[in-house]
Amino acid sequence: MSDELNFPGTSGRLDPDSLGEPLRQLVSDAYGPVAGDTEAYWAGLEQRIMSRVKSAGVSETSWWTVLGPWAQAGLIAATAIFAVTSVINRRISDSETQTAYEMALQSPTPEVDASAAVLASDKASARDATFDYVLSH
Amino acid sequence: MRIPDEERALAEKARAGDHNAFAVLVRLHQRRAYLVARAIVTVHEDAEDAVQEGFVRAYQALDRFDTAQAFGAWLNRIVANAALDLARRRKVRTTDELSDALQSPFRDPAVDAELRSRLAEALAELPERARSVIVLHDIEGFTHVEIGEMLGIPGGTARSDLHHARQKLRGLLQDLRG
Repeated sequence: MSDELNFPGTSGRLDPDSLGEPLRQLVSDAYGPVAGDTEAYWAGLEQRIMSRVKSAGVSETSWWTVLGPWAQAGLIAATAIFAVTSVINRRISDSETQTAYEMALQSPTPEVDASAAVLASDKASARDATFDYVLSH
Repeated sequence: MRIPDEERALAEKARAGDHNAFAVLVRLHQRRAYLVARAIVTVHEDAEDAVQEGFVRAYQALDRFDTAQAFGAWLNRIVANAALDLARRRKVRTTDELSDALQSPFRDPAVDAELRSRLAEALAELPERARSVIVLHDIEGFTHVEIGEMLGIPGGTARSDLHHARQKLRGLLQDLRG
């Protein structure tokens, strides 16, 4: 007697729920390839599969083949361009700020504005005087 | 185990771009892959399409293939997915179409024509998933868990589908079996 463990379903017992061999064989036949299970059929299918695999593989490979060597160079170039652009922008910005500051220092105070302020102040005093006169009478 | 080791080596070579290595894997697995696809899509031409699509997807996904597992099991899941995609796209098929598709490939001339015709009709009447589960389990010998993984359902559901599918098929062919 063997010490081997027998698990359910592996001991050669028939599955009571099974289709039965004749019906199983019929279903099996129904699902065979139309052209028959011949070497020629499978060789043909293999050829068609490999033809699709090669065309799909080439397009996929070309992505990596083309991008691979250029990826590092592209990244370095992009970083350099970004750095140079940042420096140029900074210098332009500094220069504009300096120019604006110098212009503000050099420009004289407009006299027209001062006299306008004096006129406005005189008009307010006259109005107040008129108002005081009306109230006092 | 010799074959899985050999397959692992072939898969690694194929991953490195060796088409000949992949062709050997195709030769080793295309029959089973065809039967998996056929179980799902039923129609021969669709099964061929699904097998081709499945192998292409597998080739493109070789980088993600875990060489610790069997190549065949991994491939069959991909082929089953390709077949399910195809079946979804071609959802509407009449019983007559399916019946014709299942009748044509019979190869044994001794089998009675009426029996063949009745079986084809009965299979065509089964729901798509039930038909797939019967063929994958009873013809191809996949376990409930493997079928569940292929069809995207729990193993217990595959088991229960199988039980109901067998019952229905037996019911449809009851008068012939007596």
